[in-house]
Amino acid sequence: MQQYRFDGSFEGFLCAMSRCLADGIETAEFLSDTAASESGLFQDLMVDVATDRDNAIGFRERFVAAASVEAFAMLRYAFHSEHHGIEQQLWNYVRLGLKTGPKLCSMMADKRVNDVDRLARSVAKEAHKYKGFVRFREVEQGFLYARIEPEADILCFLAPHFVQRIGDRHWMIHDLRRSLAAAYDLTTWRLLRDITLTGSPGYTDAEQECAGLWQCYFQRHAIEARHNPKLQQKHVPLRSRKHMVEFDHS
Amino acid sequence: MTTLSLEQRLEILADSAKYDVSCSSGGSNRKGVPGGIGSTRPSGICHTWTADGRCISLLKILLTNSCIYDCAYCVNRSSNPIPRTALTPDEIVKLTMDFYCRNYIEGLFLSTGVVQSANHTMEQLIRVVRKLRVEERFNGYIHLKIVPGADAVLIEEAGRHADRVSINIELPSHRSLQLLAPDKPRESLIGPMRQLSSLIESARQEHKHSGKAPRFAPAGQSTQLIVGATPENDREIITLSEGLYQRLGMKRVYYSAFVPVSSDQRLPALPSPPLLREHRLYQADWLLRFYGFSSQELLDEAHPNLDMRFDPKTGWALRHLEHFPVEVNRADYQVLLRVPGIGVRSAQRIVQARRTSRLGEEELKRLGVVLKRARYFITAGDRYLGGIRLDGPQLLARLMAPNRRKASLDQLELFPAGTDVSAVTGEL
Repeated sequence: MQQYRFDGSFEGFLCAMSRCLADGIETAEFLSDTAASESGLFQDLMVDVATDRDNAIGFRERFVAAASVEAFAMLRYAFHSEHHGIEQQLWNYVRLGLKTGPKLCSMMADKRVNDVDRLARSVAKEAHKYKGFVRFREVEQGFLYARIEPEADILCFLAPHFVQRIGDRHWMIHDLRRSLAAAYDLTTWRLLRDITLTGSPGYTDAEQECAGLWQCYFQRHAIEARHNPKLQQKHVPLRSRKHMVEFDHS
Repeated sequence: MTTLSLEQRLEILADSAKYDVSCSSGGSNRKGVPGGIGSTRPSGICHTWTADGRCISLLKILLTNSCIYDCAYCVNRSSNPIPRTALTPDEIVKLTMDFYCRNYIEGLFLSTGVVQSANHTMEQLIRVVRKLRVEERFNGYIHLKIVPGADAVLIEEAGRHADRVSINIELPSHRSLQLLAPDKPRESLIGPMRQLSSLIESARQEHKHSGKAPRFAPAGQSTQLIVGATPENDREIITLSEGLYQRLGMKRVYYSAFVPVSSDQRLPALPSPPLLREHRLYQADWLLRFYGFSSQELLDEAHPNLDMRFDPKTGWALRHLEHFPVEVNRADYQVLLRVPGIGVRSAQRIVQARRTSRLGEEELKRLGVVLKRARYFITAGDRYLGGIRLDGPQLLARLMAPNRRKASLDQLELFPAGTDVSAVTGEL
């Protein structure tokens, strides 16, 4: 089977699909650069696709014109789920979309669309939750620094939100699971790859004080007669508490 | 009073503010300004949940918990021997900005006890929000309490700075207000609410004509009712809410299960707050706002209280079995909404999906429709999914059959405003 290798980014994936369409190939396999190559035997069938922004945008326009903006948004969110085999699923979805046209999104009862929709919704939901869960801390270097460990790769959905919101400070959101970070420098945000910490970040005195005030506010705000930790846990699962100041009891 | 540290005062005032249930930060859509701080999202964003399972979206705080009034149900009533304190406008502004830039909160919910006079108190509140908006150029969400009886000029300024304004009715009837809050005749609450309603509406109209027209509380107004402190039945409460939604364009009515905060003789001694009743009232409230139900359909003289055994929609359906079952491939959207177990999102997805394919049981499941309750009330491709004859007593028994999942009561959504729901229903 023909294989296309791309750099693991969403744009790269669009370029790979675009190339595949140009080659007129139906059954293809898409390999992310970051995934270990399992195909030593068939190196000759492997095409490396370079990521090119214009090319990716061209593909987007083509798909939107054929299907719809919503259908493309679904594709984008689902891709970031990093679900196993997602590239194949999305390739099937894209081909279906190019064939059936604008009604793609309403074909919810079709398994090919439904599976993508489910993934897209779970990513969108997690991205929405993290717009609330991100906790910035002021570090000695003078910027706001937040750590997250989400299930899906949601940085590209979070960053534009915080660009709108915190425009007067330098900040960085660090996805520890993926060694990725979104960094904002007062004008624009950039995605940084392969970020590792060389030491633990030092927080400012003002930061310690502010975190303390928040913790005491958080504790006192609960009404004892309504105590309901199960309900709390349903909304803030334990796994997302690790980097939230109010759950930090150290 | 000044000897207390900021932390101690924050604790006292958080304690005094926490019985206000509104936590919504939605309904306002404002982009950030370049280089500035703050934006608002129409869906609202919850930032964390406290140990009682309630969300924190806004820094909910009182300017002061001193109060000249002595309302029996209120933790801040003048006769209650609790420590009294205050924060300065500068302190509140700094807390808000510090918490906001760390993404702890969506904005500020500022309320206060009434000191000296309504006008004086309102002026104090306005000083804080003016400082936030003008000096700090804070562009995030602000929910501001309006002090009943304050001057129209002050109210107008308050609404220019705030996203949402609110006056709490607290008690659902004249009778109860007279008994428990003798300083606050009902008219002194409804009058200002009417005034807010017309200011909000006229600003909205003007904004339609010109995008430059000044906004007045773009996220509208809300109010709160205490449940269980007084003898009103659910019918009185839901009818009142319906009136508030229809006549005053209220965005939300919040229901607060009464938590005994005093041993006043005029109040009932409740072993625990009536949380289930509160939950049922929220369900009924949702049916009014998003499902096209009227209060008379849900409650009448023969049934003045909501059934605690099942949700109000199931209750309604059991009294109107003649409307069921409905065929999911044909029924109108409005009809689908009335099927127990089918919510706004499921109904929308059904309507969307049936354009391209015929829906059977399998398809419904794939769409995420929860059939546990719905199956008794629908046919899919003309096949009835309930498996029993659709009659009252049998169905009742089925629907009441104990849930195999233990302790389902613990899982009640006390605040049905889940974040993911909000985008669909436009819940504010």
